[in-house]
Formats: sequence, C-alpha cells, structure tokens
Amino acid sequence: MNRGFFHSKTVTVIFWLCMSMLTLVPIWWMFLVSVKRRVDLFGAPSFFLDVSSMTWDNYAVVLGNPVFRKYMFNSLVVATSNAVLVSVLALLAAYAMSRYKLPGKDNIFFWVLTNRMAPPAVFLLPLFLLYTTVFVVGDWSLFDTRIGLILLYCVFNLPFAFWLLQGMVDGIPQELDEAAYVDGASTFYVLRTVIFPLARPGLAVTAILTWVFAWNEYLFASTLTSVHARTITTGLAEFVTVTGTNWGQLAAVAVLTLLPAALVLALVQRHIVAGLTFGAVKG
Amino acid sequence: MLAPTLFILFITGFVPFLYVLVVSFFDWNTFAQNPEPQFAGVNNFRRLVFDEAFLKSVGLTLKFTFFVLVSQLVIGFALAKLMMRNFPLKGLFRTVHTLPLMIAPIAVGATWRLMTVPGLGPIPHFMGKWFDISYVLSRFPDQAFATVVIMDIWHWTPLVTLTLLAGLSNVPEEPLEQARIDGAREWRIFWDITLPFLKPVLLTTIFIRLMDALRTVDEVWMLTGGGPGAATRFIGLYIWKIVFPKTDYGYGSAMSVLTLYMTIVLCWLLYVAMTGMKENKK
Amino acid sequence: MSDRREGFLPIKTNTFDRVFISVVLFIAIGLLWMRFLEQALPLWGAAVLSALVGQWIIRKG
Repeated sequence: MNRGFFHSKTVTVIFWLCMSMLTLVPIWWMFLVSVKRRVDLFGAPSFFLDVSSMTWDNYAVVLGNPVFRKYMFNSLVVATSNAVLVSVLALLAAYAMSRYKLPGKDNIFFWVLTNRMAPPAVFLLPLFLLYTTVFVVGDWSLFDTRIGLILLYCVFNLPFAFWLLQGMVDGIPQELDEAAYVDGASTFYVLRTVIFPLARPGLAVTAILTWVFAWNEYLFASTLTSVHARTITTGLAEFVTVTGTNWGQLAAVAVLTLLPAALVLALVQRHIVAGLTFGAVKG
Repeated sequence: MLAPTLFILFITGFVPFLYVLVVSFFDWNTFAQNPEPQFAGVNNFRRLVFDEAFLKSVGLTLKFTFFVLVSQLVIGFALAKLMMRNFPLKGLFRTVHTLPLMIAPIAVGATWRLMTVPGLGPIPHFMGKWFDISYVLSRFPDQAFATVVIMDIWHWTPLVTLTLLAGLSNVPEEPLEQARIDGAREWRIFWDITLPFLKPVLLTTIFIRLMDALRTVDEVWMLTGGGPGAATRFIGLYIWKIVFPKTDYGYGSAMSVLTLYMTIVLCWLLYVAMTGMKENKK
Repeated sequence: MSDRREGFLPIKTNTFDRVFISVVLFIAIGLLWMRFLEQALPLWGAAVLSALVGQWIIRKG
C-alpha cells in the first residue's frame, strides 16, 4: 500500500469534492425540482439544470398564495420575537449567574440544560392540554396563538442561549462593571453601557442561532396551532397529501424553508458545534 | 434577573412534566362516555406493557438509534481524520459539510422524499437501472428503514465530524510522535493515546446524538409517514400520530412518561458505563 | 450529599445516586411485574419487593 499516494493533497481534495457532492446532491435536486415545469417532472432524472425549460412558476404560485404568505409571516414573527426575547432574558440570566453568588448555582444550571434535552414528543400532550384547558382566560387560550409558540420555543432556545451567553459574560472582566458601580451606576445602566457593547458579537450569534432553531421547529408548531398561527414548516408538511402531491411547489416551499438557515451558515459556522453540544466541545 | 428565565422554563418545562405525570394516572378521554378525568391508578401503565404496537415502536427506535449512532461515529471519525490534513479550500469544504446541520428537519425530510419518490426521484431510477432493484419506499419496510437511517446519517454525521475534529485537534503531538519512533502500531497508538484524549469529546457526542436520535420525528414523518405499516413508526411518531388524535389523554400521558423514563435510564446507563466503571470519577 | 462511597454497586455513589437507582428499579420492577407476574400475584408484591430492594441499595449500595 502506498501511503504517500493516499495522503497526497490531490487525493484529499478529490475525496472532499466527492463528500461535498454527496452533501449537496439532495439539496441541488430539490432546487431542480422546484424550477421544473410540471410536464418535465417525470422521466429520466438528470442532475443538470436545463436553463431553457426552467421556470419560476412554482415560487410565484407559492408566494402568491395568501395562506402561505401568512404562514411565512407567522414564522418570521415567531422566530424573530423568540430570538429577541430569548437573547434578552438569557443575557440577564447569564449576567446574574456570572456576577452573583447564588445558592445552588450548579443545580440551576443543570436543570436549565435538561429542558433542552427532553424529547419534545413527550411534552406534546401535556402542553396541548395545558394550552387548551389550563392556560385559558375567558375565551382566549394560548392554543393557536403566536404568543403561545414564542413562549414555547423558549424551552429549547432559552437554555441554549443561556449557556452560550454565560461563557460570553464570564469572559468580560468583572473590574469593568465594578468600576461603573463605584461611579454610582445602576445595574441596568451597567448592563446597557458596559456589558451589552462587549457582549454584542456573542449576542448576535445567539440571536441568529436561536432564530434558526425557532424557524426550523415543526412538531410543536403542528400540534399547538390549527389555523391562525401555523408556521412555514407546518405549511411544508401540509403539501404532502394523500391525493397527488404537487412536487414542484413542495420543493419550492422546502427551498424557501432552508434558505435563511443556509444564508447565515457562514456567519455562525464556528459556533454551531459549540452550540449543539452545549459548549462541551469547542468547534 | 434570573427570575424571568426560570419562570418561563418553569411554565414551559417543569409544569408540563408534573402535569403529564399526574394525568398518566387518570382515565381521560374526551370522546369517551365519561369525558371527565377519573383516577385510574396504574391502569394506563398496565395497558401499556401489553401494547404490542408500542413495544414494537420502542424496539424500532432503539434499533434505529443503534444503527445511526454506530455508523455516524465511524464515518464521522474517518471524516474528522481527513479534515485534520492540510489541503486547499479546506474552509469551503468544511462549510459545505456543515450545511445539513442548519436545515430544518422537516425540510430534510422533504429533500429525501423528493429523492426517493418513484418516477420522480433519482434514487429509485438508478437503483432500478444499475442494480435492478425495485426501490419503493411505501412497499418495502426494510428499504424504508434503511433510507431513514441513511437520511439521518446525511443529516447528523457533520456534527460528529466537527466535534471529533475539535477533539482531535486537542490531542498533543509529542506522545504520538514518540510512540511512532518507538515503532508502535497505528491501532495501538489510537487505542492508548488518541482515544483517552478523545474520550470527553466522544462521550459528549454520543450523548447528544443518542438523545437526538431517540426523539427523531419530523424527518421520518415527512419521508415515510411512519410506514409502510409500522416499519418506521418511532416512539415520537407513535405518540404524536396514533395516540394523540384518539384524544386518549391518560394513556398518551402514560406513554410519554414511560418514554421519558426510558430516555433517562438509557442515557444514565450509558454515562455510567463510559465513565463510572473505569475511573470512578470525582 | 457528597458522601461518595463504594458499596456493592459497581460504581461509587452518593445518596442521591442511590435514591435515583432505587426509583428507576421501582418503576422497572412495577412494569415487569404487571407484564409477567400480575396474573398470579397482586401488584403489592412489586411494591414490597421494590421497597426491600430500595432499602438495600440506599443502605449498602
């Protein structure tokens, strides 16, 4: 066996080219389907883009559909509000955790993290029941509301943001805010003028990742909404019907669903690993 | 300042947990003759241990978890080793490799659905053309299961690669080189030097993947709908699609509690098996 | 809580660990009893057995 050959740069690059192909082919295929005319869908599959018969009709139909526009709007609202809410709350919590001596600190931290780990299917039923029967004020219930979803996504996003910002705030020297306190500043003032500017890069990463997680969520959204607060992921699932799925439009919606995540990928790439493993592994 | 965070997690995490625990001891079906909850003791659990469909889906979930975990660790480790080399465009390849991690599971399911629909997708076409295999997900249980496993490998192997890559970068060079000079065999070096350094990272990776694999729902629902028959109906799907629509809340709660119990025990056993036995940590 | 010690269990445990193991076993025994033994013996047997096992583990584990 010639080890030199297998370890050469050319072979490595070729290998990674193949790997990238494997990663990209399903996504590329989906894009191809989304720009095909309906008559071209079936037949011998080709991985090359046929520019002459390319069409944006599927996207036009999907984006022209008011129901789907509403789904998209809901997703935007829910993901954005959730990201903002989570970032703010987590910054406060991380600051408190980092600066004050609290009893049972480790236990609190551990408990917060377990919230992220629990299987969501287990919580579907109790949450559904709570949302429809317990958290009800008069005619108004949390079920099928955007607020309900925004609060719910805190279950998995808040622990994540908490952990991410905890490390960030720990990295800010305590002397800085102590100096400000000596000058008679309030906690809020210190947070705003000392911590916030220094934690801004971390906050941005936190907000982006939590946004993506909220945008991607499906199980809760499909169960705890019915009409008004449905999100884009539930919209995608609705395309698969027993009677003839419209594959072109399905593909178009799927592309729209994964687009934002793919766009921010380069920005947060370094933090994904740390984020998904709770910082046990630094990427 | 900690209060709002804890409060929200209390409402959305802890309260549902207590609630499901309580409801699991009640008979509660809104479409039954008596729609009000009635205390039923352990009747729900008694029903559960004789529910063959449920037990089957538990077995299926464990089987799925085992397959994806092993293959992802092997493939991920190989890829991490390859990522350790220096080669041009490394950053770009790394980014492309990370892409699946960010895609919504439901979109992953849609992607693979489009790849595997008979007549439309390339996989059935080429399977038929090159290997003369009739590939129809909705007809052959084994193919459906295998495809779900492959989809999960496609989706999550990058995570394993990246964590192991981070772990490998932290393995110091000196002992490795010393061992090579001493003429140690490669697998010996791996076992005695690399693996101990890699252990914490490896453990975390296995943990995260185990928990994610146990709760896989979205992709599978999109790709196979749990079928054909019950071939890919994992626990999550079972609770969500079979028990839930029947509004049999007490029974569903019992099932949720038992699922949570099994998840915790499995993770704990793994944890003990990997840390406790050898070193008696702390 | 940090009275880690070595008992008959294969790992060092503190009180919390032993209580946790007992609860886990309690549930497991209960479920298995329901599945295989309840036709012959009432469920109280499982409770008694679990209590004994739990006692044993918490004392000596």
